[in-house]
Amino acid sequence: MKKLFAALTVGMVLATPAFATDHLVVYSAGPKPLSSGLAKAFEAKTGIKVDLFEATAGKIMARYEAEKANPQVDVIISAAWADAISLDQAGELLPYHSANAANVPAALQTPNYVAQGAAALAIAYNPKSGLPAPTRWSDLTQPTYKDQVTMPDPAKSGSSLTLVQGLVAKDETAAWKLFEGLAANQTLVPGPNNAAMNPVLQGAKGVVFGAVDYLVIGAKAKGESIEVVYPKDGTVLAPRPMMIIKTSQHQEAAKQFIDFALSEEGQKRVADEFILPARTDIQAKRPGWNDLSIIDFNEAAAAASAAATKAKFAAIMMK
Amino acid sequence: MFQLVLSQWQTQRSRWLAPALLWLAIVLLVVIVGLPVLAILLYALFPHINEWSLAEPFSALLPTLADGQLLSATVNSLRLSAAVTLLSCLLALPLAYQRNRMSDRSGRWWDALLMVPFLIPPYIGSMAWMQLLQVKGFSEQLLGFNLAPYLYSFPGIVSVMALHLFPMIYFAASNALRVVGHRYGDVARVFGAQPWQIFSCIYLPLVLPSLVSSCLIVFILSIEEFGTPEILGNRFGFHVIVTAIHDKFSDWPIDLPGASVLSLILIIIALAAYLLQRHISERFSANLDQQVVNPPPLRRSLLARTLTQLLFAMVAMLAVVLPLLSICLSALMNTLSGGLHWRNLSLQPLLRLFDGDGDAWAAMSTSLSLALMAACCTVLIALLVAFAVVRLRARATVLLDFLSILPNAIPGMAIAVGLILTWNQRFWPLTPYNTSLILLLAYVCLMLPYPIRMLSAALCQLPRSLDDAAYISGASELTVICRILAPLLAPVALAAGFIVFAISTRELVSSIMLAPPGVETVATYVFHQFDQGSINAGMAMSLVTILVSGSIIVCGQRLQGRVRP
Repeated sequence: MKKLFAALTVGMVLATPAFATDHLVVYSAGPKPLSSGLAKAFEAKTGIKVDLFEATAGKIMARYEAEKANPQVDVIISAAWADAISLDQAGELLPYHSANAANVPAALQTPNYVAQGAAALAIAYNPKSGLPAPTRWSDLTQPTYKDQVTMPDPAKSGSSLTLVQGLVAKDETAAWKLFEGLAANQTLVPGPNNAAMNPVLQGAKGVVFGAVDYLVIGAKAKGESIEVVYPKDGTVLAPRPMMIIKTSQHQEAAKQFIDFALSEEGQKRVADEFILPARTDIQAKRPGWNDLSIIDFNEAAAAASAAATKAKFAAIMMK
Repeated sequence: MFQLVLSQWQTQRSRWLAPALLWLAIVLLVVIVGLPVLAILLYALFPHINEWSLAEPFSALLPTLADGQLLSATVNSLRLSAAVTLLSCLLALPLAYQRNRMSDRSGRWWDALLMVPFLIPPYIGSMAWMQLLQVKGFSEQLLGFNLAPYLYSFPGIVSVMALHLFPMIYFAASNALRVVGHRYGDVARVFGAQPWQIFSCIYLPLVLPSLVSSCLIVFILSIEEFGTPEILGNRFGFHVIVTAIHDKFSDWPIDLPGASVLSLILIIIALAAYLLQRHISERFSANLDQQVVNPPPLRRSLLARTLTQLLFAMVAMLAVVLPLLSICLSALMNTLSGGLHWRNLSLQPLLRLFDGDGDAWAAMSTSLSLALMAACCTVLIALLVAFAVVRLRARATVLLDFLSILPNAIPGMAIAVGLILTWNQRFWPLTPYNTSLILLLAYVCLMLPYPIRMLSAALCQLPRSLDDAAYISGASELTVICRILAPLLAPVALAAGFIVFAISTRELVSSIMLAPPGVETVATYVFHQFDQGSINAGMAMSLVTILVSGSIIVCGQRLQGRVRP
């Protein structure tokens, strides 16, 4: 107790700006082993101390917004590409092009932010459920899957929103018809990604429409009974943007951190979490750049109409 | 208001301590609760206040309030909270009544057991119920039936929340009944009153202020609760205001001013509930003279005693044993999809917590020490505030009293934003922000309502004549507070301290926003485990924390048994 109190007091004094030492403040969305591993390796390599705050993308952005009177953060790694789009449009990002980004596909980098890696949105099904393996998104509107499908809520999961946006951008009429079919099939939209996947693992439901693929592959690696299927009609990528905030007091260190995250070592850590590394020359531990048929769409345009997309989706699913 | 304080001071010039305490209480509450709440209010009105700009005032109000679903969410919130409060009362009252009719020894055991629901985080509790009752859940695997349709319905969500919150009313009511003692009931019985009459015409009115005050807490807690509506309510499209607020935090695009506007609705509801509670309390303000602090034990038949024990056992089974069992089973399962098979059960997830990097231990000791400090701080502040509100009766105390309920009405996320807006400013020479102290501040702010409610209710029951007698006998204020009021309030203060400790050990929403880089609490640890899909590790951590903090509380209660006069 006494020790903690002492630590708290010392901490309080140290935290005041006058005493701030040279360090880097990074806010990162999960998975935790990736961000903390990356931070530790960066510290060991450069000697720059990393203060890491880990939470969901939403909480990170909320903290960032609330802190604007006295900005604390240098680098943000989000799980939602749209976060980077809006910060960029608000002019709050520091332009930086890392030399290590040479092998990152053009769609995954802009002058002001770059992807660390990406997840693909897929179908996940529990083989124990006895359901046939689906091959296309539209399969899940068939009667066989009635009452067996879950889907993460686009209002609570950025990746699920990306999937809806991608499918709508590809073929608007077909996409809304697909969601109407899912609604008619009693698809459950229970909340964020975990809430959609857990009932399938537990056997209460059979299939996830729009599962984050690395979570499924990770669960399978732990021995869960779950399989990932990349639909033939194409999948959508949800890249994880890395960005330096303009108000950063440690811009050089921040740039070094981005370089490190895009270095071979940093990218291998991404691969270790079963996430698709941003660099195409790094071997993925899962279906890689050449194995996926990806639906390309203009994310910035989709972001502009995101509110309408979410509202239309909710209206269909609530029917 | 200040003039009143001043005039009071002038009339009682010899009593300098009371006004000093009143001022101290005001300053503490304003700094701890007032500033963050003010920050939220300002944020709702000025959406760019986070950048110190008053641009586009009121622009967040209309778009947020024009949301078509807001009305139904508000109605749902009110409906849910009212039902939860009612059911909690129905569960708690018979138990509290029987608690004072059983021997203190077995009573203390049940008290300890009924403390457990406070230790179970709402989201863990809801997940436990889900795993127990869902299709192919534990009950179906073991006994062949599921209650999924009931669980995912309005009555289901109300039951889960009431089973979780009723101890709040139970402890308040049983403490109040203890102070009342049995004498009034005995007198009525001599005059031929029926047991039901005795309860409804004598005990109920006497404990009403305590009861209503704890009902207010339960009402406001259910309006503010996020975990259960999020996990269970989402299953059948049941949306409340808090889930709407959290949607504004949960993913792109986040909308903090909008969330602040919605928080205003909760503040208004809380204000209305508070005024209602005050109105009822004032009508029934009880004046008990000649209190019996140590009631003589009752002589009861074996049948009555057995029935009482059975009643307690049944409620404990539902509120404590079943959720704990489900948490326990989930913690022991190697894989979620493996189901309940011997081959799939092992102690691995539990053991794995304590090898490796020691993160789990660090998180637990952070949480436990923060919770302990929060309990001490809140109880001390609450004693002060309760004294100021109940005994000084200055006009300012109404404000003080309302301020003290606010943190419960506002979701933890919004409070966290308020705290960041308040403390992350360049003009503070020293700030707790970005240190563990901000968590302590957040816990104290969020937990203050419990001890304040409990202690002011208890203080209301202590007659003023007690103080007056002491003053006439020449006692100073300090003597009255330390030698008369404090010992009489000690059991309630301890009970309140335990509740704060229990709830703080598992506080999630503000911890996850405010934790300084690198600091983990139990709840954020569990959250990160769930986020990575390690349900078993998260459940194992919850289980261990429940056991550890539970045993700390049991030790504390044994201590309480010893210090009791």
